[in-house]
Amino acid sequence: MPALRDLQAAFLRAMFGPDEPELLETIVGDGLRPAARLQIYRHHVLTSLTDVLQATFPVVCRLVDERFFRYVADAYIRQYPPEAPCLFEYGAHFPAFLAAFPPCRHLAYLEDVARLEWAMNIALHAEVCALLDPAKLSGLAAPDVAQLTLQFDPSVTLLDSPWPIDQIWRVHQVGEEVYTTVDLNAGGVSLEIRRWEDDVGFRRLDPAIYTFRTTLVAGHALARAAAAALEASQEFDCVTALHELLTDGVIIGFTL
Amino acid sequence: MVHTSTSAKLGVGIGLRAPHVAEVLATRPAIGWLEVHAENYMGAGVPLAALERVRADYPLSVHGVGLSLGSAAALDNRHLSRLQRLITRLVPACVSEHLSWSIAGGIYLNHLLPLPYTEETLAIVARHVMHTQEVLQYRLLIENPSSYLRFTHSTIPEPEFLGELVRRTGCGLLCDINNIYVSCCNLGGDPVAYLNALPARAIGEIHLAGHAVNDADGQTILIDDHGAPVSEAVWDLYGHALARFGPVPTLIEWDTNIPELAVLCAEAHTAERCLQRAQEAGYAGVA
Repeated sequence: MPALRDLQAAFLRAMFGPDEPELLETIVGDGLRPAARLQIYRHHVLTSLTDVLQATFPVVCRLVDERFFRYVADAYIRQYPPEAPCLFEYGAHFPAFLAAFPPCRHLAYLEDVARLEWAMNIALHAEVCALLDPAKLSGLAAPDVAQLTLQFDPSVTLLDSPWPIDQIWRVHQVGEEVYTTVDLNAGGVSLEIRRWEDDVGFRRLDPAIYTFRTTLVAGHALARAAAAALEASQEFDCVTALHELLTDGVIIGFTL
Repeated sequence: MVHTSTSAKLGVGIGLRAPHVAEVLATRPAIGWLEVHAENYMGAGVPLAALERVRADYPLSVHGVGLSLGSAAALDNRHLSRLQRLITRLVPACVSEHLSWSIAGGIYLNHLLPLPYTEETLAIVARHVMHTQEVLQYRLLIENPSSYLRFTHSTIPEPEFLGELVRRTGCGLLCDINNIYVSCCNLGGDPVAYLNALPARAIGEIHLAGHAVNDADGQTILIDDHGAPVSEAVWDLYGHALARFGPVPTLIEWDTNIPELAVLCAEAHTAERCLQRAQEAGYAGVA
């Protein structure tokens, strides 16, 4: 009689690998081959995790066709099985996995579309935080303002891509005209993905604003973020950009 | 233990799934209570914010699917802490989990996997149930699983195993009638005898759901996919369960091929009529 720990280790191996005779010997046939009984569990484990990935990456699924999606998901699940029960957190490595998966490597935009969908998933489940009251910064002296670092709402992801991934996403929504075409050479995008009230969405940011905000998200001070944005565009107006940032509903705290 | 479990006054509830949340908030259907899967709300984001609005109008039950009470390894304390935070926030009418395992070697298998019913397993599950009840300060309701296999070295019939778990830990039971039916059909067994072997006074909640009828190697296998109306055989068993356990709060579950909310509500109203009949008839429940 195997100890429970050993039985569960063998069962785990069987879910992702071949049948082991020692495990099959512990299963009562009841009119069926023990291997057929084990296969019911193996099938459910793999298909239910595939369904989780499909729910998180629906546009990727539509882009590659469902049958191919289930094939790549199966390979992903075997390489990166979930390590915890909250499955809305499952799939973080999927965009990079797609990029390296030989059969779909020719779809250069696929990884970035997957990153967009992952960012939307993060935004949906990120903890709802109280926003910073901009009045709390009103008394700061100029040198202090330059050294400010700002804490972003955990729902925010900033993502850029050489592909028009926002358009690709939109034309692959259920109910959208399926024959709408996207010009892949239309140029890249700089996106902000986040929660707006009870909904999740994204919008394009001006490249200089994008640089400003990504520098701040990385934990750098306001002065450095402004310098980086000015380098991106001489038109950058720091006062307006800071005002927009503080009234946009994305900043939850600051440090001096 | 701070908290009592369910009361018969709850009546019939439905499992609240993501596609129905907005409609439930907008239309407030006449449903006794709602049950949610704990793991879907541990992110404290948009889904939890919506659930908190739902909670203002309906009693809630929190149904865990990921604690893996039957794992030989120690419980995942991070997960247990997240469950505790969720329960502190929602203050549900009851909290339930499963007689199963889903974690081994640090991998979560997303399935309620079968246990050998042995003294070793009983000691492990009882220890994990006790620990969970201490942390949560709730009396857990433990659900019987649907099974597709049994182990040669099991020595304790499942209902007796659950009865002994109740005796050792003070937990209650969530009696899933569809699971009893599915397991008895798949493994051989008499579902009425199973119901009769359960400790009646421990039953705090009943689950009803549909199943799929599949074929494996020419033999019929029932799959507990929660993707169809409750079958006639399960309604009949439900009647027997109510006669034996009394008017226990009952839940309609539907997780795949999720239908319109109205279809779920109609199933709930069917169950409600059964509950009312049981209430009017009185019952001769014995522990």
